[in-house]
Amino acid sequence: MDLASQLPQLLGLAWLLPLASFVLILFFGPRMGPHGRNAAWVATAAIVTSLVLSLVAFVSWLGVHPAVAAHHGGDHGAAHAGDHADAAGHDADHGSHAVQPPVAYSGDWYTLYEAGRLKLSIGWYIDSLTILMFVVVTFIATCIHVYASGYMHDELHEVTDHEVHLTDGSHLHRPGRFPRFFQALSLFCFSMMGILIAGNLAMVFIFWELVGICSWFLIGFYYERKSASNAANKAFLFNRVGDFGMLIGLMALWGALGTLHFADSQVPGPDGQPVSRPGLFSLVRPAETGHALRVPDGMVKFAAAEKVAKTAPGDVAGKVDAWRAEGFGKWLLFIAGVGIFCGCAGKSAQFPLFVWLPDAMEGPTPVSALVHSATMVAAGVYLVGRFFPVLTPDVLLVIAYIGAITLFIAATIALVANDIKRVLAYSTVSQLGYMMLALGVGGWVAGLFHLVTHAFFKSLLFLCSGSVIHACHTNDMRKMGGLAKVMPYTAGTMLVGCLAIIGAGIPFVIGLSGYYSKDSILAQALSFSQANPRHSILFLAVAGGAFLTAFYMFRLWFMTFAGTPRDHHVAEHAHESPQVMVMPLLVLAVLAVVAGWTLPGGFGIANLLEQSRPAGTTETVQGGFAFGQTLTVPAEYLSHEGTIHVTATMTAFATALGGVLLAAAMYLWRVISPAAIATIFRPVFIFLANRWYFDELYHALFVVPAHRLAAVASGIDQGLIDPFINGLAWTARQVAGIDAWIDRTLVDGLGHATASATWSAGLELKKLQTGSLRQYVMFIAAGTVALFVLASIVFRSSLAG
Amino acid sequence: MSPADALTQPALWPLSMIVFLPALVAAVLALPIIPKGREELIRWVALATTVVVFVLSLWMAWPTLFGAVGPAQFTIGEAGMQGVVKKPWIPAFNIDYLLGVDGISMPLVVLTTFLSVLACAASWPITKHVKAYHVLFLLLETGMLGVFVSLDFFLFYVFWEVMLLPMYFLIGIWGGPRREYAAIKFFLYTLFGSVLMLLAILMLYFTSDLRMLSPEQLVASHVVSPALDAASRADAVAAIAAAQSPIHTFNLLALAQLGQLPKSPFAAVSLWGMSLEIWAFLLLLIGFVIKVPVVPVHTWLPDAHVEAPTPISMILAGVLLKLGGYGILRICYPICPGAGLSLAWLVCGLGVVSMVYGAFAALAQKDFKRMVAYSSVSHMGYVMLGLGVWSAVAGNEFRWDAWAQGVNGAMFQMLAHGISSAGMFFMVGVLYDRVHHRNLEEFGGIFNRMPVYSGLAVAVFFAGLGLPGLCGFIGEVLVTLSSWNYSRTLAVISAFTVILTAAYILWAIQRVYLGAEYKGPHGDHLTPMTGRELAIATPLVFLAILFGVAPQLIFNYVTPSVNRQVETLADWTRDVGSKAAQPVAGGPPAADVTSR
Amino acid sequence: MNIVVASAVPLLGLITEPVSVAHYLVVGAILFVSGVVCMAMKRNALGVLMGIELVLNGANVNFVAFASPYLQGEGSRSLGLDGQVIALFVILLAAAEAAVALAITLNFYNNHATVDVDRADDLKG
Repeated sequence: MDLASQLPQLLGLAWLLPLASFVLILFFGPRMGPHGRNAAWVATAAIVTSLVLSLVAFVSWLGVHPAVAAHHGGDHGAAHAGDHADAAGHDADHGSHAVQPPVAYSGDWYTLYEAGRLKLSIGWYIDSLTILMFVVVTFIATCIHVYASGYMHDELHEVTDHEVHLTDGSHLHRPGRFPRFFQALSLFCFSMMGILIAGNLAMVFIFWELVGICSWFLIGFYYERKSASNAANKAFLFNRVGDFGMLIGLMALWGALGTLHFADSQVPGPDGQPVSRPGLFSLVRPAETGHALRVPDGMVKFAAAEKVAKTAPGDVAGKVDAWRAEGFGKWLLFIAGVGIFCGCAGKSAQFPLFVWLPDAMEGPTPVSALVHSATMVAAGVYLVGRFFPVLTPDVLLVIAYIGAITLFIAATIALVANDIKRVLAYSTVSQLGYMMLALGVGGWVAGLFHLVTHAFFKSLLFLCSGSVIHACHTNDMRKMGGLAKVMPYTAGTMLVGCLAIIGAGIPFVIGLSGYYSKDSILAQALSFSQANPRHSILFLAVAGGAFLTAFYMFRLWFMTFAGTPRDHHVAEHAHESPQVMVMPLLVLAVLAVVAGWTLPGGFGIANLLEQSRPAGTTETVQGGFAFGQTLTVPAEYLSHEGTIHVTATMTAFATALGGVLLAAAMYLWRVISPAAIATIFRPVFIFLANRWYFDELYHALFVVPAHRLAAVASGIDQGLIDPFINGLAWTARQVAGIDAWIDRTLVDGLGHATASATWSAGLELKKLQTGSLRQYVMFIAAGTVALFVLASIVFRSSLAG
Repeated sequence: MSPADALTQPALWPLSMIVFLPALVAAVLALPIIPKGREELIRWVALATTVVVFVLSLWMAWPTLFGAVGPAQFTIGEAGMQGVVKKPWIPAFNIDYLLGVDGISMPLVVLTTFLSVLACAASWPITKHVKAYHVLFLLLETGMLGVFVSLDFFLFYVFWEVMLLPMYFLIGIWGGPRREYAAIKFFLYTLFGSVLMLLAILMLYFTSDLRMLSPEQLVASHVVSPALDAASRADAVAAIAAAQSPIHTFNLLALAQLGQLPKSPFAAVSLWGMSLEIWAFLLLLIGFVIKVPVVPVHTWLPDAHVEAPTPISMILAGVLLKLGGYGILRICYPICPGAGLSLAWLVCGLGVVSMVYGAFAALAQKDFKRMVAYSSVSHMGYVMLGLGVWSAVAGNEFRWDAWAQGVNGAMFQMLAHGISSAGMFFMVGVLYDRVHHRNLEEFGGIFNRMPVYSGLAVAVFFAGLGLPGLCGFIGEVLVTLSSWNYSRTLAVISAFTVILTAAYILWAIQRVYLGAEYKGPHGDHLTPMTGRELAIATPLVFLAILFGVAPQLIFNYVTPSVNRQVETLADWTRDVGSKAAQPVAGGPPAADVTSR
Repeated sequence: MNIVVASAVPLLGLITEPVSVAHYLVVGAILFVSGVVCMAMKRNALGVLMGIELVLNGANVNFVAFASPYLQGEGSRSLGLDGQVIALFVILLAAAEAAVALAITLNFYNNHATVDVDRADDLKG
């Protein structure tokens, strides 16, 4: 079958299966066996099938596009064009070495909205990155489903939640929620794969929000706990802050370009023949510039709207290049890039939006492993990687600096944290910072490579911590210690995880997965620093971060597993976890070791990723963009060679070794007392222990003003508009009162006066009515005479005539 | 009615029945036929009526569902007016009984009939003056439906007022403790608006002149019925052309044709320094935005909602608010395009202010229902913004699709909000029926007490939050994305609202549904949902999901009509508006963020 | 001297004149005035009735006098008896009136034991 039609079917099915599982469990979950026990099977079956489908897709891909050893050099990227046989002509083009865009299959399944040239749809964009991420996500999800079916067994019966105190002083008793957990997990897997397969940014945004709400459900799984529901809300709101930026990015792209598709799409033309409509990638990196970054026409015209208005419609097209040269549209592209990155920063817990992730550890540990370390939080990094072609060098610089700040802050906080899951959470934040930084300095493969390896070893670490928590019923490392004896598997696998995360290995020979990915990040950062000396702090941040990572990871391991038990109550209860939980640990430990290896024949994750490297990023890019200052983004292959590679590897080895040794000195051999250090650096210690006071800062900066503003808005209604309306009503009533008074006194008065005048006149006239007959006769007589006299006077003239 | 009418106006009976059947049944109910004490019967009769009307409207709107495609039924995908019914009513003033539906009004009609069924079912707990309640309720339904289908401005106004009075009594008699205050406030606000509207109607009427229209336009606007044969049409057209004095009209379609003429009679007349077009637009706009409502004329809404009984809140939020948006779309813009172009900033600005202000105010509320009411203010702000984005400007070569996207988004938002807000109010009502308070601070732990209810409620609230996959998302995203082309500043502010919306909804969910235990009064009354309540809530949740997943179901109706109107207006802007209206005072701001 | 007297007292001139309509009128006037004075002065109801008779008869004299053939215009188609006929009607009415009036008086007397019209003020306003 044709790969172009096979891949969307395979991955689409893999994507939809968890949704089916979600719907099934939603409606029938409680009826699936006793207490919904079989819901775990349904969910696991779905995700395993997804894994199998992803693997089939993976194999099919490799069958057509074998991931061969990358030979660093000019014709990079184009070498993997696979069935695009016309790649032969590439070196004739303008002396540019990489003119072939990477292989990707795209299309639309379903239209949400369409009018004119604007179309929002659900579609796919599949390249080696998509497939790789599908395999990684479904694989880890499978492990975690299996693990969780053991870890969550408490939920199979009546649960007593010791962290919730009711008003009568007792603990909360509630029925178990086993099916609900797997229901949310399935929905999460569906949403996560939706992001991976998304063919356009609108679809990314849709599933972006959906993973957000899944995360809300999962963090708030113990919703009776105030802390859990707070953490869930915090996570969602911080993500929304990021999404606010992302929306602006989307608007900037949509408003000016009218498309959010990554790749070109086929649309029916005016004559019914399908025509190609360029997607974002080819708009920003058109083939005619050799896939070099260029502000798209739409953005130029949009920014130069005033000039367009003054130009005759026919002349616009001809002037676009001149306007572009003037710099129109650069800012729009910058805003689009930074906006999309804002969303990534929210999801991937980057500075300044990282504070939600440690709180998210309120969720059950399998969730922390899957959602909040390996997959969802990596979605931000994934999107930066996916969206990489559209990012301008200055956006990349912003990303690099944000990554550097994040990795440093998070690492410092991890130094002093005592909650085992929080240490891992800050470690996650820090590692995500690494990935962002790697992408920002142009290490596209390095960043995404680290994303993959990190997914394996960090989920391993979290599952190990879950195993420890399961055994000890506490998160506090100060109560642990000496657990290696009772929990050998957990201790061993966690050691593997720790070694992987610090990038342990024998320099230039072999190492764990982290060794490869972290070294390539260091090398790329070094390469970038050398090319841009004013930004050499980025390399220092990476190197310093490596040291801190090694220190806090081994502090964690030593405090937990080494030495003697500190709390006997905890130590007595500790036991190795059941097999269903240990098996995933072993599987993941193996992958944490080998994921970075390149097999004989050239198959390796880095080479696979290399196939999808965005066109136009294979070579060193010179020049700034919006800011006008010069910036050099060195090509990635340069960092694999010569002195840079050696320096970076040695630095990584030295810093990691230093960190481990220091941790051992403090927590294993106890030659240095941690308490003494804490006393000496007391202000720093307190500052770090309070997490740089970020929560307090945000509370004062945003939460309080928001509530104030809300009170003001509500107050305006009740204190301004309503009184005004009521005042109007009052005034109307007063006016009505005056009106009534006028009616009573003036209008009615006139009537009454007439009536009473008539009355009194009548009274007066009545007196004439004497009843005396003789008088009447006299009146008649006198009246007649008087009439005659009157007539004679009045009509004198006519009488005379 | 003669048999010929049945041929030329096949929709005469169906459409009239949809509108007037509730009123007829109301009249019958009002007679002393049903003896006292048979309240159950009254409820069933009213419910049956609403169901019949719903089925009728569905029969009309969705022919394929019923198998047969009759001439009276709606053709999906057609942009123009369909099922037009025309009978002279008051010939002395050219007032017709003129009804018709297009893609804009048809979905709203179905929404109205659908919500009426649910609201009628939700009226079961009402025990006070049951007969009067249902009579007024049915009258209200007639008024609402009449507004959506009437194409004669006078008829429109009559229905508009018919709707007002039952609502006043429904709030004022069956409401909460401060019902009189709320009812009077609602009544006065709306009456104030409709008086201004009447003024505008008369202005337009006396300025209109049918003789300015071409024969094609006369036929297109149903002044001369297109169903007549060619000879009679020619006669009628000739009669109009030969008239000595201006022939005024209330025909909305004809008024729109007049308003879009290159030499619009409404733009020609000047009144106190502004053209009559602007005056009419402003007066109509005030009348409609009071109904929407937008800040600062929104304060009737929280009071009315808080005091109104649950079913009336559902109708109020689900349908009545849409009348404002519908009026702006159907009347303001087509008839006064010039004013629409120069005042687009006002419409958009009002929308954005409402979005942000409503969201902030919702965040501050302690009363659950009040919070939902303010969320309506915020959500209807999207509708205003979407309707207002006049982005067919010279800068983007008068392209209409970004603008159409906003209007389509606004239409979708209206329908989606009809579902989600009715659902939210119903969910609040379910709780209130049990514990008799709405204080957000005194809830908590409802999830454990009423799991099914809470699941449905959370789904509905997420629809309000604009979660993808639920109906609230599509409209909000379309509107927000389209606003960028009109004004960057407004777009950024409107995008900012997504944070606030999430904040107040999640916070409310946390305070009401999450938590360990319910600490408020009447805790022992927290019984699971009854079958009747489930029967009301489930369709709402189902539709919220359906429209979120398959928005095309709505867009199939809406898009053709909206696109045609927007395309026409975009062409008008290119040919007439951009020349007449420059410099546009406060018009689309020049690229403020992105000039370089 | 006559002339002087006649000019001084207009009616005196009539004495020297032959009897004509004017003389009848004078008689009628005297009767009328006597009747009016009688009505006005007499307190006895019967006296008042008599005054009424005098007034009516004064009028009758006038009617008859105006019916004189000398006053008839040329070519009149009247029988020349108009005045007399009206006088007859008046007499008839006077009789009827006297009958009613006497009945009232009698009743009044029965009720009040007097015929003094000044005492009859029951209709006073």
